[in-house]
Amino acid sequence: MDGMIRILRRYVAGAILLSILLLLFNFILLGTLVFKEFRRQPSPEGVVREVAERLTREGGRYALGDEAARLLRRHRAWAMLLGEDGGVKWGERLPDDVPRTYRLTDVAKFSRYYLAEYPVYIWEHADGLVIVGFPKNSYGKYQFNWAADWVRSAPWRLLVLLLLNAAVALLLSIIMGLRLVRSIRPLVTGVHKLAREEPVRLDTRGLLGDVAGSINTASAILQEKTAALKARDEARSNWIAGISHDIRTPLSMILGYASELEESPEIPEEHRRQAGIIRRQGEKLRSLVRDLNLVSMLEYDMQPLHLERVRLPSLARQAAADMLNGGPDERYAIELRLADEEALINGDKKLLLRAIGNLLQNSVNHNPEGCRIAIETFLSEDRTLCRLVVRDDGRGIPREQLAELTELPYSSKRKQPPRHGHGLGLPMVARIAKAHHGRLLLDSPDGGGLTAAMEFPAEGA
Amino acid sequence: MDNVKDRKILIVDDEPEIRAMVERFLRREGFYRIHTAGDCASALSLCRSVRPDMAILDVMLPDGDGFSLLSAIRQFSDMPVLFLTARGEDEDRLLGLGLGADDYMVKPFLPRELVLRLTAILKRVYSSPVEKRLVAFRLGDVLVDLDSAVVRGPRGEQALTAKEHALLAKLHQERNRIVTSDALCQAVWGDDSYGYENTLMVHIRRIREKIEPDPSNPVHLLTVRGLGYKLLVKETG
Repeated sequence: MDGMIRILRRYVAGAILLSILLLLFNFILLGTLVFKEFRRQPSPEGVVREVAERLTREGGRYALGDEAARLLRRHRAWAMLLGEDGGVKWGERLPDDVPRTYRLTDVAKFSRYYLAEYPVYIWEHADGLVIVGFPKNSYGKYQFNWAADWVRSAPWRLLVLLLLNAAVALLLSIIMGLRLVRSIRPLVTGVHKLAREEPVRLDTRGLLGDVAGSINTASAILQEKTAALKARDEARSNWIAGISHDIRTPLSMILGYASELEESPEIPEEHRRQAGIIRRQGEKLRSLVRDLNLVSMLEYDMQPLHLERVRLPSLARQAAADMLNGGPDERYAIELRLADEEALINGDKKLLLRAIGNLLQNSVNHNPEGCRIAIETFLSEDRTLCRLVVRDDGRGIPREQLAELTELPYSSKRKQPPRHGHGLGLPMVARIAKAHHGRLLLDSPDGGGLTAAMEFPAEGA
Repeated sequence: MDNVKDRKILIVDDEPEIRAMVERFLRREGFYRIHTAGDCASALSLCRSVRPDMAILDVMLPDGDGFSLLSAIRQFSDMPVLFLTARGEDEDRLLGLGLGADDYMVKPFLPRELVLRLTAILKRVYSSPVEKRLVAFRLGDVLVDLDSAVVRGPRGEQALTAKEHALLAKLHQERNRIVTSDALCQAVWGDDSYGYENTLMVHIRRIREKIEPDPSNPVHLLTVRGLGYKLLVKETG
């Protein structure tokens, strides 16, 4: 909807700008194209003035200067001097149909309009009135009369005119913009739905019908692909679940009988030791099968989460207690640094404990000669993120290998085969963090040791 | 019938080899009244005819799942049930359903684990009333009797308050293991018991005054700094 308003706003602004530009353009055109020809040079008044000034009296005769006579010829105009008595005292190129005497009323008439259909112009002369006549139909003479009030209010009227124009332009642009928006809106909602992977069915009639058709097709393809992808993920996950189920029963038998042999007093010591090896390897397989299934469920977003408000420090204590309860080992010292007791997140307790347990186990596996392990929890400064960090001071891991540690073993993104255990531990932690909208950050500082930080969005306390 | 080994056990699993193996382990441990079934139908008819005292049920069976079999059994019997499952995701269902299963194990399992859990359930359910009342344990010279909520020792008989009793019960249930202060608070004050740590310390001190020869230097109820507490109990017999 926001986008629609933006389109409309821009449309209206564009229309207003366009009309202003058009108005300016028209003013300029009016000046250059229309009024350029309004007056020819020299103007009729200029000609008559020139003639009046060049008409001189020498002796009893009048004479026109050569230049003024040429001017008259060029304009195909005639001229005459009317004396005080109304008689023509002098004439130049005077046509026959022009009377030779005038009364006062005649003068009043032609001074404003025409003399025998010739447009005429008048200039005062010492001996009377100089009259220049131009060819018939060469000039139009109009009389303008304005009421003084009207002239005074003209700027206001002009302003109102402009405002009305602006209002009409605005109205028209809004109407047109709305029409455009109305035809685009279903397309826009369609594209938005497409982005959310919802199915889209648009009306394909109208101006933008072909676009609507393309959006429909895109939606259909997307739906189809999503469904296929989901089906494939489900098939893979079910396949792994099925395989791990099928492994569990025979493995039960291997573990069962191996441990029976291991404890049997009737067979030689050497064979009991070998049975013990079978049992321990069986237990390794058991942990692999268990982790494989969980990782595959997490990978394909099929692991159900039992979400509740969880305090990270509480989890850290539980994980540390579990590790110590599992049989204390002199080689590993565990330390807790829990800064913010109220570091709350929305999470699945069991999965999170599993993740912390994996991180602790990872430190143990990597450092068979022992190390100090610290668990830290704290809130970020803006209190939007919670972090749980498992830090050891052991051997560490080369930086270039850190990135691929969270990839699944034997996937195309992982070059090195797992060196300790089955290699599912850290990928599982990364996936548990991701399922909680968080992430796992691994770092191995130069001083040695490994820092694994799980970061989660904080739950408002 | 005081001996748990005299109890009748029913094993239901569709894999004959698993049935044979579990039966073999149980016989080795001294159980001798063992019945087996490979599907829901024969399991149900066995339940009606031999009336077993306990059942080990597989979740996946050829003619239905273990959950519905348990519902059918519950129509006429309250015997304890231990589930065996080969699928990790059954764990969640078992916990979520509240079917009244007494325990569950995910395959593959070690025989020792199975026998331990089985005998634990049998003892809990079938031990005689006299024995059952005796949820009591010894800490040095002191006898803690959780049933009557008293501590008897050289200093005479001292009553336990409700909170002290709840704390001791939780610590005893997890004896010889570290119990975090969060878990203790939750056991006593319920969910979202954040902020009770100081109160917890007060209660622990009062318990020590009742059970420890020298409360300032505890030898039974130990503090695990930064984590919680641990109750050391010497197992007798």
